[in-house]
Amino acid sequence: MDYVTRLWVGVNIRNLFKENVATFHYINKDGDVEMAKGLDIGTMNIICAEKEGEDVVFMQQRNAFMELESSDLTKTMLDTSKVLYVEEDGGISLLGEDAFRFATIFEKEAKRPMKRGIICSDEKNAIPMMKLIVERVLGTPKGQKEVLYISSPADPVDLDINVLYHRKTMEALAKKMKYDTHVIDEGLAVIYSELADYNFTGLGVSVGAGLTNVTLAYLATPLMSFSIGKGGDWIDEQVSKTTGLPKEHVCATKEQAGSTLGTTDVDFGSVKGALTVYYDALITYIIKNLDRRLAQIAPPKVSFPVAVAGGSSIPKGFFDLFEKKLRETKLKIEIPTMIRAKDPLHSVARGCLIAARTQEAAGKRATTAATAITTQKKTQGKTKTTGKKK
Amino acid sequence: MGSEMHKDQIIVNDDASSSGIIHRGVLSYYLGSVFFMAGIALLAMGVAFIMIFKIHYTSLPEEILLTAVFMGVGITLILTGINLMMKQTKYGYGIVGGSAFMSLSALSLFVYAYPHKWYYPFISYVFSLFVAGFLVLMGNAFANVTLKMIGNRFESVVGKEEKAEVKIYTDEEIERDIEEATRKSVDAAIDKLDFTLADAKDLTLGASCTKVRGNIVRVKDDMDEARILKITRNPAETDKWGSIGIDKVSMQLSNALENQPSIEKDRLVEITKDFERKIKGIVDLVKSK
Repeated sequence: MDYVTRLWVGVNIRNLFKENVATFHYINKDGDVEMAKGLDIGTMNIICAEKEGEDVVFMQQRNAFMELESSDLTKTMLDTSKVLYVEEDGGISLLGEDAFRFATIFEKEAKRPMKRGIICSDEKNAIPMMKLIVERVLGTPKGQKEVLYISSPADPVDLDINVLYHRKTMEALAKKMKYDTHVIDEGLAVIYSELADYNFTGLGVSVGAGLTNVTLAYLATPLMSFSIGKGGDWIDEQVSKTTGLPKEHVCATKEQAGSTLGTTDVDFGSVKGALTVYYDALITYIIKNLDRRLAQIAPPKVSFPVAVAGGSSIPKGFFDLFEKKLRETKLKIEIPTMIRAKDPLHSVARGCLIAARTQEAAGKRATTAATAITTQKKTQGKTKTTGKKK
Repeated sequence: MGSEMHKDQIIVNDDASSSGIIHRGVLSYYLGSVFFMAGIALLAMGVAFIMIFKIHYTSLPEEILLTAVFMGVGITLILTGINLMMKQTKYGYGIVGGSAFMSLSALSLFVYAYPHKWYYPFISYVFSLFVAGFLVLMGNAFANVTLKMIGNRFESVVGKEEKAEVKIYTDEEIERDIEEATRKSVDAAIDKLDFTLADAKDLTLGASCTKVRGNIVRVKDDMDEARILKITRNPAETDKWGSIGIDKVSMQLSNALENQPSIEKDRLVEITKDFERKIKGIVDLVKSK
């Protein structure tokens, strides 16, 4: 298939997916525009969550880009089909989901600006591409200093990397967009999203593509937070090496609805069998590191329910396997119950939005109190003045 | 340790671990307590004698003598006991002893002279002697209390050996402090940076960049967690029971339950119970905090 034909095919496949863009801002009963957003910046997906009326709207883009040769025909076809792209130095970079789709057609690998949960140092275009994707997903602020909470991984315990630069870069990106930006741990975001019934006391586990984040919190205060350098991407790599299949194929099999982990009847050399083995290894690794970290702290003597979220926890059987292995391990904390996130992919973004809305409410309360004091002072001043005249 | 202290120094800080108290020993407290109790007892008996004998100017000399001695000795012992319970200045014990001796001497002279030789100016001398002893005891007690109050506001004056409080830091504490200091320093340094993208101006955006934001998923979600998080973080800011807001909501819920058909009512009852359970949990949490 030649270049133009491939492009035509890609564009038409792209058009099969409907687009619906929300453009209005919700105004609540008090007449204020609801201003707060949560942003999950993940290795695989960048997801923004915002409240619109009774709904929460999640805006998602793949955190990827793909380079194509630039020509007028290419640009025309891409513009007609509303494909997200940018042009620079005679080349075109497709952004987001489209990058993945076109990568398959052009038999190329989509480039990922992030690796293992942080900005990829090998990719020189990582930050400009991420900036573009984040700008698309986040949109413009609804008002001055709209509150935004972005997720950040914790420092990994098994890798020699520090997330500080990544965290500060993402924070700076969002601040440049005129958001009042705050950063929150991914694990803590999961706790905010899933453990409200337990007063935000428990263990939040976010199994992502690049990293797995774990946070232990007591009444919304984090006691311990760490990450490990293994996630969905690690599983894809290992299964791909083992079976000889491309990573995209493995990823597609993994994300298939109906794909079940933990089944005992598998064919030799099958992807499902390899996936089960490596998921088992990942879960064991997570729990071992958790056990080691818990031994280093003195948590309060209360029960800590466990909430599991993250895109890599979606496959059927993952949660049951995780629960089984966790119960078998005698951890330092008491675990009364385990909770599977209702929407594992969006849980972190939802948790960030919850934190942002809480911050927004606190800010409004402070503003109202300050306004009331100022009004009171003005009233007292007028009364005094009146008194003097008499 | 007390003998090593400089003679000119006054101990102004009544620290339990100071060498002064250790040097004084417990005996002075026992003596002080005994004198005080004895003094109270004698004074009480003297007062009792006044009432029993109905002392007046025509009372028997023996009765007057007995009453006066009991009361005089009682007062002297009380004041001596109080002085012994306090930390004394350099010549404090001498002053206490001397003044107690003066009072008791006066009482002895009284016993010797009364009633046959009890004339002026001898009465004046005896009385003056007793009053002098009494006043010195009182004054010494007052002075020591004042010194103690002043001394508590200043650092203790210690001898040549300085008391050094040594705090031992564990390795974990040191590591944590270093990490915290490093993190703060790095945060401050990064906050000063002004990030810019050097290549931004070379990019040409596609036509869809201003229109397409991404894949949208819309979910019905009341996001009550934000309210609960606010309460968890700031429990003092919860509404009080009986406040207007909660009463209004309760009335609305009650009306809704009455007006709903039976099937929906059961569901509403379930929701109400769930809501009450959550509120109860939050109130218990607030009370415990």
